[in-house]
Amino acid sequence: MVKFLGQRLLLVIPTLLGVAVIVFVIIRLIPGDPIASLVGPNSTAEARDELRERLGLNESIPVQFGIWLWNLVQGDAGNSIARQEPAFDLVLRAFSQTAVLSGAAAIIALVGGLALASMRVLSTNVFLQRASSFVSTFAMSAPQYSVALIFIVLFSVGLGWFPSGGTGSAMGGGFGTTLYYLVLPATAAALVPLGIIARMASSALRDVVTAGWVEQLHARGIPNWKVHLHILHNTVPSVLAISGLQVGYLLGGVVFIEIIFSWPGLGQAVYQAITQRDLPVIQAGILIAALAFVLVNLVVDVLQGLVDPRLRRA
Amino acid sequence: MTRTALSVKNLRVAFGKRKTQIVRGVSFDIAAGSTMVLLGESGSGKSVTAKAIMRLHDSTTSVSGDIHLGDVDLLAQKSGELGKIRGSKLAMIPQDPAASLDPLSRIGSQLAETIRRHGLAKSRADVTAIAVAQLEAVGISDATRALRAFPHQLSGGMQQRILIALAVMSKPGLLIADEPTTALDVTVQAQVLALFKELVSTLDAGLLLVTHDVGVAREIADTVGVMYAGRMVEYGPADEVLNNPSHPYTKALLNSLPEVGMPRGSLIPIAGQPPAAASIPSGCAFAPRCAFATAACTTDVPPTVTVGPNHTSACILALKNIEVAA
Amino acid sequence: MTIKESAMTAPTLIAPRLGFKKFTGRRRRLSTSAKVAGGFLLLMVLVALIAPVLSPYDPIVGDATQRLLPLLSDGHVLGTDGQGRDVLSRLIWGARPSLLAGIIPVIIGGGVGTVLGLVAGLGSARVNSVVMRILDVFYAFPAVMLAIAISAALGPGISNAILALSLVNIPPVARVAETEVLRIKDAAFMETARLSGASWFSIAFRQALPAAGPGILVFCTGLIGLSIVYAAGLGFLGLGLTPPTAEWGLMVNELRQYTFSAPIVALVPAVLILIVSIACNALGDGLRDRMDVRMEARA
Repeated sequence: MVKFLGQRLLLVIPTLLGVAVIVFVIIRLIPGDPIASLVGPNSTAEARDELRERLGLNESIPVQFGIWLWNLVQGDAGNSIARQEPAFDLVLRAFSQTAVLSGAAAIIALVGGLALASMRVLSTNVFLQRASSFVSTFAMSAPQYSVALIFIVLFSVGLGWFPSGGTGSAMGGGFGTTLYYLVLPATAAALVPLGIIARMASSALRDVVTAGWVEQLHARGIPNWKVHLHILHNTVPSVLAISGLQVGYLLGGVVFIEIIFSWPGLGQAVYQAITQRDLPVIQAGILIAALAFVLVNLVVDVLQGLVDPRLRRA
Repeated sequence: MTRTALSVKNLRVAFGKRKTQIVRGVSFDIAAGSTMVLLGESGSGKSVTAKAIMRLHDSTTSVSGDIHLGDVDLLAQKSGELGKIRGSKLAMIPQDPAASLDPLSRIGSQLAETIRRHGLAKSRADVTAIAVAQLEAVGISDATRALRAFPHQLSGGMQQRILIALAVMSKPGLLIADEPTTALDVTVQAQVLALFKELVSTLDAGLLLVTHDVGVAREIADTVGVMYAGRMVEYGPADEVLNNPSHPYTKALLNSLPEVGMPRGSLIPIAGQPPAAASIPSGCAFAPRCAFATAACTTDVPPTVTVGPNHTSACILALKNIEVAA
Repeated sequence: MTIKESAMTAPTLIAPRLGFKKFTGRRRRLSTSAKVAGGFLLLMVLVALIAPVLSPYDPIVGDATQRLLPLLSDGHVLGTDGQGRDVLSRLIWGARPSLLAGIIPVIIGGGVGTVLGLVAGLGSARVNSVVMRILDVFYAFPAVMLAIAISAALGPGISNAILALSLVNIPPVARVAETEVLRIKDAAFMETARLSGASWFSIAFRQALPAAGPGILVFCTGLIGLSIVYAAGLGFLGLGLTPPTAEWGLMVNELRQYTFSAPIVALVPAVLILIVSIACNALGDGLRDRMDVRMEARA
């Protein structure tokens, strides 16, 4: 088990390295003088030269990469041009907001998805089966921006049940208020993962329920409730895998929700940075998103190995 | 007189809303301490028969007839009662051992579950002792290590032995084995069959073994029942049915399957395909493929005729005492 | 694989994929919902093709006196936007870029991804490892962010958006292709091809591809819906076409400011994209169901 953990950790490092390379390449792709982008238009010639020297831009590309990476690892991604604060600080603050939103969305998606899957596979009512299938197809096709706007028009403008934007911090914050402001954006963000989880969980559930060993348990006279526990246990690995992937995507993919609901998260920060040509923030933002995704996958991998012994041997 | 482990009379099994008949009136008896082999091709209804006896079908399948396990009427039992009977008085050994054990539970815990279910032991120490004893009884030497293993870590032969151990631990009166050796290597097959023979005699239980492999029948059967299109076309002592077959299908089947010792070039395949359950022709189901069919065969359902002591054949020609050429 | 098994599978595997109706007795029909979805999508394509003829009004020039007319107004079935332009006309004209920006990336990404999958699947363990690990790195980025990042780096404009989306499509297709190729890699006909001394190209494109193709194709059709949504998303963010061009994503963003003053009209383009997305998925499902039946019948 420890060996498995160690292996997985080791595998993460080259991936992270690759991520750094790609971000580096993407940043370099941006046309124009990188220094101007990094320091902003109102800088002096001395400041620019000093930065050029510090970043080693007079050196070869691999050296540049090395210096850049070294700075990164020390937590220095440069300063945000727009806000004059360290890019990482800004990004991490935004990320915590995204984490709250994604966390809520993940819970909604998991509960809803599993409920739909159970309905699809375990219920004997044909209508429920068809309905759950339809709902999951609908959910997974729903584009974030469309859903967000529809929700606002329906529940905010139309019914006036929920606020149409913000985190509620202006109202004094607090758990209850945040929750209230979270309802619409989190549900909107949860739809696609919900649909996907529902789909894949029902296929996994079906595979388990029709497995030979389930019949064998009945053949040995094991009571129904115990058989159900076995079934549940066997569905966990697949559900874990799917949910983990969805959580990963949620962490980096709620841009539209954040923009439309004015939720000050990572997606919104990166998008603003793009419009403002704020390179350090763009860079830091993408890195954090990728890092979060990789870590979530790692955790899911390890959890899966814990639950399903067959996976431990790679 | 030996007691009857299982008595089946006129068993009919139909699937689904359209009530497609898969098993169309099958009858046989199995005496305690004896082995009956249900022989037939895929689609003959033999596996469905075995599953029906175990009452493992769901509510969309209708099972009628008479099934008595000793003096217990199996078809009259409710699910609660069945739960107690299955695994203790009546046990099943499945076809694909790799798919028949919960992949996420250790062997020890799966054994413990069944041991506790049938009240064979309570305390941890007792349960472990019985588990070890059972595994050793089926020929697994390193039982303690096997207990800690997960199913995928064991070979097919070992998995099958574990399933056999799970089946026999409560000393059932009847064992049902559905193609238990099909998924195994030939050498392991021989060992498993030997194990079956031993168990049948030690437990004084009946064994119903379903297979398409004539070699297995020759190895282990006391009685043989040949099924075709849901009917028992021939039934009798193994020696008689396998060496002196009376029904044209049995003869054709024996001539078409390879066996050790056969002369080269002697295989004669049976032309055509068995009929689908939903479209069985009137009269004798085998008539379209039978070399000896007469006009009457396509209109009248052949009666079951006694052709020897405890030996029946469902063929018009047997009725008329016409010797069917080998 | 035993001789018996390979004998059973060989005829069906070697048979040309398009002619396999002969080998499967029954023919499964496409479900009604899939047919409806397919019909709707065909309609969309048609609209895109004949947009200039079909559109009642000019999509770019608007009548400021007619701004924000509600649905079912006289002469404007779907209302008008903030600049007095007819929404229906803009949607019709917007069909072309919106659909193309969805389909082209799938074609490009699908092509490149399939080749990568073939290389990884047919190659040695080391080749496979290297290719898949590189792809894994791209997988570490949530697709949305990656598309935005690349698009932002390259600059606005539809061709950059298409390029960004193509790149984002490559890893998933490559993964599916690799899986499919691995699945048939050890089949009898592949071994025959290798033993007969065929070149890598021949094995890859004349043996492996036809066998693994359908699975990959089905996956790619599933990607189209997603691609259309992403393309509109990029448009929404201003990373694709620029105003005053009519493009569905751009329209969603433009109308967003009128969510409170003209809510229904503001929703129109968003709802259209939603419907198109559902239709794509429904069609993809229907096609997959039909294909699976054939694969079942073969087994």
